[in-house]
Amino acid sequence: MKSFLLKIGLLTALLVACAFSAQALDGAVVIANSSVAADSLSAEDLKDIYTGKTKYWDNGQAIIIVVLPDKTDAALQQASGMDGSQFKTFWQRLMFSGRGSEPKKANDAAALVALVASTKGAIALVPDDTELKGVKEIEIK
Amino acid sequence: MKRNIIRCLTQSLLLASSVALMVCRLEAADLNLFGTNMPPLDFHGFVSQGLLYSSTYNYLAPNTASGSLEFFEAGLNVSMNPFPRTHITAQGFMFDVGNVGQYDPVLDYALVDYSFSDAFGIRAGRIIRPQGIYNTIQSIDLARTWVLLPQGMYDCRWRDFDGSLDGGSIYGDIGLSKAGDLSYELYAGMTDIADNGGIARSVQNMFNNPPVTSFTGMGNNAAVYGGQLWWNTPVDGLRAGIAGFISRGLSYDYRVNPPFGPGATTGFVDANPEIQGSLEYLWKNWTFQAEYKYVDYKFHSEVGGKTVPNTSVDLDSDTWYAGAAYRVNKWLEVGSYYTEDYPNMANRNGQGTAVPSDAYQKDLALSFRFDPKPWWVFKIEGHYIRGTALLEDNANNPVRNGDGWFMLAVKTTFSF
Repeated sequence: MKSFLLKIGLLTALLVACAFSAQALDGAVVIANSSVAADSLSAEDLKDIYTGKTKYWDNGQAIIIVVLPDKTDAALQQASGMDGSQFKTFWQRLMFSGRGSEPKKANDAAALVALVASTKGAIALVPDDTELKGVKEIEIK
Repeated sequence: MKRNIIRCLTQSLLLASSVALMVCRLEAADLNLFGTNMPPLDFHGFVSQGLLYSSTYNYLAPNTASGSLEFFEAGLNVSMNPFPRTHITAQGFMFDVGNVGQYDPVLDYALVDYSFSDAFGIRAGRIIRPQGIYNTIQSIDLARTWVLLPQGMYDCRWRDFDGSLDGGSIYGDIGLSKAGDLSYELYAGMTDIADNGGIARSVQNMFNNPPVTSFTGMGNNAAVYGGQLWWNTPVDGLRAGIAGFISRGLSYDYRVNPPFGPGATTGFVDANPEIQGSLEYLWKNWTFQAEYKYVDYKFHSEVGGKTVPNTSVDLDSDTWYAGAAYRVNKWLEVGSYYTEDYPNMANRNGQGTAVPSDAYQKDLALSFRFDPKPWWVFKIEGHYIRGTALLEDNANNPVRNGDGWFMLAVKTTFSF
């Protein structure tokens, strides 16, 4: 009986730990412009950025989100808690009420990497098979 | 005459700028106008045109029973981040809903936003006050499923009162560890009430009753203050909010024409406290929303600085709605809501009043939103309504009763 309870306890602890531990993004990695000082972010930090609660990097530089519509929706859902349509509407609400800057859009993965590379403070989710050139990869802890 | 010319020129400029930017570049336009050392200016804009058609009454515009195109919105937005932690933005806006707005260009907001940290920031200038899910974006058709928001809560004619204020706010987001986080915004300022705004038309509706009474115009603007608190729960997509709002000092002028009364009279809205509770849940392709608002209206009238006996009114009013929307695919969203509005909670069915149906309005809406292109939205929406509380146009609806009636709202929006 004791052993059974111990197993249940361990299993529960494992499930809870999994629930709150870092989760890899589905089929995507996080990249940023080379001006961004951070090398890693927690999942909570990333969510705060993608839900407009954190708008500036630690040095005061504005965070510019760049999105690739339809290509990284699963990862976007994980990062923001919203699907692509809800995310777009959410940021339109912030932008047209003077409370934020709408994320920039790229047409394909290569264009997204180029846009992040040329935009100070930019951050983006990019498919994990994309060639990364001129940007830094941010580890999600 | 001079005012009309200036208005006309400003309208043309705003419209021409919107069209020019849309034609030149449908994606957001980053214009680095002052060389490489200046941060880029970010431009966005939208133009919406709608059609309103109702089966029985004229609602929102004087001629909706025969179809009305007096349903228009346009805005042009510019923003920049010139310094660390600083955001500057402004939006010009004009709209027309029946005899409200009438294409007069207004400065929707123009503000400087400085964020000390995620937990504390300041906005100053002309800001849009937060209240509930939709108050900050009442004018932004593309940022919602519905054509018409629940009108008891977000009356599209009352934007001069519900929207902008000249003043400031403090805001921030406070983490609660595993309990989610709290977002807050507290504001104070002055409204700028227009003589062709929703409040003016509402007062006009009450007092344009010749030869006994006549509406003269709006008087003092209102001082407003309040706040919005959102609890973003640990459940992804679920948030709950509470908002409080008080306005003071709003006045309007009317005449109780001799021999029926004293002549020039001033009406005062003594205090107008509002409380609004909100719940929103985004789950997979679904959006669920429900809100409740309570308003305590207090009025009295004065002649020569003295209160006119028997003019003090204290009305408790409330309204609520619940709705859901489902994103079927990239280009189609379907939604529905049900809402009720009661101007006087003490008499919800109008018993004993001259027009009982003016005591309530109940509205079931069904909406279809199409997104054929990222920059083009088209919506069609049907309403089945009982009650006439929100018509506020007795001249064009002289006979009113509690029978059900229909309204069709169609709208298309182009944005960049």
